[in-house]
Amino acid sequence: MADESILFTYVAPFVGVLVVAVGIGAAVPGGYAIIQEDITTCDQPTMAVEGPEETQQRFNDSQPRTLPVLQYENLSEAEQDAFDEALSDPQGEARVAGAFPNGDTIRNGSIIVSEGERHYATVVAENPCFVAPALQFPLGVFAIIFGVIGILSPPIYRKLVELEDRANVE
Amino acid sequence: MMNRAVVQGSALAILAVGILALWFRARYKARPASDGGYFTREELRFELGRLQSEALRWLTTTNHREIGILYIVFGTIAALWGGMDGMMLRTELLTPPADIWTPETYNALFTTHGLTMLIFFVLPVFFGIGNYFLPLLIGADDMAFPRVNAIGFWLLPPALLMARFGLIVQIGGQVLSIFLPKDQITFFLSLREVSVGWTLYAPLSVVQPNPQIDLLLLGLHLSGIATTVGAINFIATVIYERADDVTWSNLDIFSWNMLVTSSIALFAFPLLGSALVMLLMDRNLGTTFFATEGGGPILWQHLFWFWGHPEVYILFLPATGLMSLILPKFVGRKLFGYQFIVYSTLGLAVMSFGVWAHHMFTSGVDPRLKASFMAISIAIAVPSAIKVFNWLTTMWDGDIRLSAPFILCAGGIGTFIIGGVTGVFLAVIPIDILYHGTYYVVGHFHLIVVGIIPMLMIASSYYWYPIMTGRWYDKRLAKFQSGLLIVGAFVTFMTLLVIGGLGLPRRQAIYPPEYQFAQQIATVGAYVIGLSALMWLYNMLVSYWRGDVVQSTDPWNLKATNQFTREWQWFEDRMVEKYDMEPAEPETTRRSYAPELEPMGLLGGVGSVAQNVYRNASMAAIAGFIGTFLMTGGIGTAIVIGVLDPASFAEISELVGLGTSQLIGALLFLAGGTIIWPLLFLSFQEFLPGRRMFETGLVFATLVATGFSVAFYTDQQGLAFIGYLTFVFVAHWAYGLGLAVTFQFLRSRRTDVGV
Repeated sequence: MADESILFTYVAPFVGVLVVAVGIGAAVPGGYAIIQEDITTCDQPTMAVEGPEETQQRFNDSQPRTLPVLQYENLSEAEQDAFDEALSDPQGEARVAGAFPNGDTIRNGSIIVSEGERHYATVVAENPCFVAPALQFPLGVFAIIFGVIGILSPPIYRKLVELEDRANVE
Repeated sequence: MMNRAVVQGSALAILAVGILALWFRARYKARPASDGGYFTREELRFELGRLQSEALRWLTTTNHREIGILYIVFGTIAALWGGMDGMMLRTELLTPPADIWTPETYNALFTTHGLTMLIFFVLPVFFGIGNYFLPLLIGADDMAFPRVNAIGFWLLPPALLMARFGLIVQIGGQVLSIFLPKDQITFFLSLREVSVGWTLYAPLSVVQPNPQIDLLLLGLHLSGIATTVGAINFIATVIYERADDVTWSNLDIFSWNMLVTSSIALFAFPLLGSALVMLLMDRNLGTTFFATEGGGPILWQHLFWFWGHPEVYILFLPATGLMSLILPKFVGRKLFGYQFIVYSTLGLAVMSFGVWAHHMFTSGVDPRLKASFMAISIAIAVPSAIKVFNWLTTMWDGDIRLSAPFILCAGGIGTFIIGGVTGVFLAVIPIDILYHGTYYVVGHFHLIVVGIIPMLMIASSYYWYPIMTGRWYDKRLAKFQSGLLIVGAFVTFMTLLVIGGLGLPRRQAIYPPEYQFAQQIATVGAYVIGLSALMWLYNMLVSYWRGDVVQSTDPWNLKATNQFTREWQWFEDRMVEKYDMEPAEPETTRRSYAPELEPMGLLGGVGSVAQNVYRNASMAAIAGFIGTFLMTGGIGTAIVIGVLDPASFAEISELVGLGTSQLIGALLFLAGGTIIWPLLFLSFQEFLPGRRMFETGLVFATLVATGFSVAFYTDQQGLAFIGYLTFVFVAHWAYGLGLAVTFQFLRSRRTDVGV
């Protein structure tokens, strides 16, 4: 142990681990940013819709004055689809996949009247797309590789010492 | 948004395949290759037959050591699963908006992370270590009820599967959705991981329609039964299966801790079970135990935390037991204050049932009740502190061996001190109201659960690796991994303490952008912890096949300090019997230093403790008075020439609530200089630099002067500042010299009289 290099046995792999950790933090989201539009549905807000009974319970049978009222017929096609899907979903939630012209109104809570029944609807998640600089992914990958070399520096160092010792003997 | 089920399922699969590949590769390389090195048909058949018989053996074993290994493997799998949840939620926090996972997924991640780690990781691993080593430590043949032991373990895998069934169903739904239309697989698409928080607070946990909550409750109930069964077994084993020469007064600390932990579990877990059944009934049978109009959601909080806080000690006490067992071996000294550590453990067990409402300070509990909980929550720090002081004293002046177990022990003490002290602040109602629900709380408890707890688990895995495998682990990698874990834990959770202190609320996927950099630091720290855990796993798996074979029956050279405990004796006997090894004989043997048995140090002498304390305290008071008198000259001069503001003395009297009086402040200063500081000096002078007492007196005075110069600073500038510092230090040196010289003078007179 005494003739071992502290630098290559402990310091270099420690720095390597740090670089790998930073690299993961950069590369994983960076890579995701590149492929997210192909594999996910970002930028489609999640709308929650309550049934008529829950809506009535929420407002204790009183008509909230400040809450805007929207007619189902006046919603965009995407909004209508999301509304229907949310009503049949066990969690009462669905994504708005398309034009969301009433977004600002629904975002802060609104009543949607459909077939004469009142439903409380609101946006529960915006689901924005992840934005990352183009260089984040390649730099992150580079950092991981570079860091791994740092982590592997103790065995590499020992091999080099062995090589040198052998050369000196010869 | 990324699909959590797909990502986590794939990551877990890659991890599992990687571990298996590593295991088989290491095993394959370790075998002797006699021919060309490729599999023959016979060999394959033999291999399959061997796997079959091995599987049958592991499934039906009642051997305490094998069940111990099963527990440890199970706990490790749960840790990897729950740890992955943690890494995923930390990844979300790299950016302020919820743009990697949806907020609901984030909620599910912190819920399952907490439950998996607390219920399925920590206690199973400690039960595993206990199963393996407790019978060896107390000289028992096996656990008291071997079959019950096996049942206790085998209840856990189905419990984990039920608790985490949401993810499995979600993955199933994703796979099925490729082949089947959505309306045919509604069940798979409606069941999802629970996202109500690990505390399962009512009414949210009652009204949320997700059927996975019911499965989770059943899984938790099953794990509670498993824990209770295991606890009964440990209690019976320690009480009835001890060897004849193992008494309550020499029972090792780890066994003491397992006994106490099991006792707490015996009282706490059945109550959790009842509460879980009540919640299940509220959800499914229309009862109203926790309904807002019925029993009330606060009732859930009471029941939950009546289990939940003792659970903290159920998780923590085995770690302290391991610390008390392992630490002395690497400092060459016997554990300091064995009895006090046992009493503190018993004290913690009793008090842990009286602090639960400190989790509910922001709820509508009667303030008078809250005050009593605050008092006990502050007081519970005392037994924990007793342990810490005893560990530090055990280390002090010891012959420290800087091995991986020791590094982890030292790191565990460090994280525990910070995690513990930040908890004392939270015990105070006004502070808790301010910090409740912030990252401060997350930082505080993670410094325990990602501090002393896993650190001591890993320390014990290194310490006992030769016993379990007959091989050595890679020591360099172990040291490196230990340091990495400590650094990772500090970076991550100290950062959380800071952002929590600034008021950032926890359990939110979205946070203000000004916290981004701090969150990124914490995330990088978390990745370091994850990498460190993987390095530990790699070391354990590969060293099992390729580690250096243990060549001695006393691998840690414990005989040299007379700390060769029973489990090592068992190992030695086995090595002698199995390999005909010679029992190890150390080159030199010395009695391991037992501080209690040593004559008192410089200040001690003949007489009872009370007599010594009285004599020393009275001499110190006289010496302190002389010192303070000398110091007054320097302080007085500083006031006269205007570099020290006498008004600052008024702050002392204000601090103790006696108004802003300079006179009272000065009198308090005099009293402090006569009583408090001399006693502190007396307690610590042996440990201060310097061979002579006047030297240590000067060092002590310098330390005190540093604090004084900060406390009494009143914005002096330029030369006034230099004058202030000069007078403060010179006055304190006068104090230190006066104190030490007078004290020695009085002692020498006593000695003369005695002669």
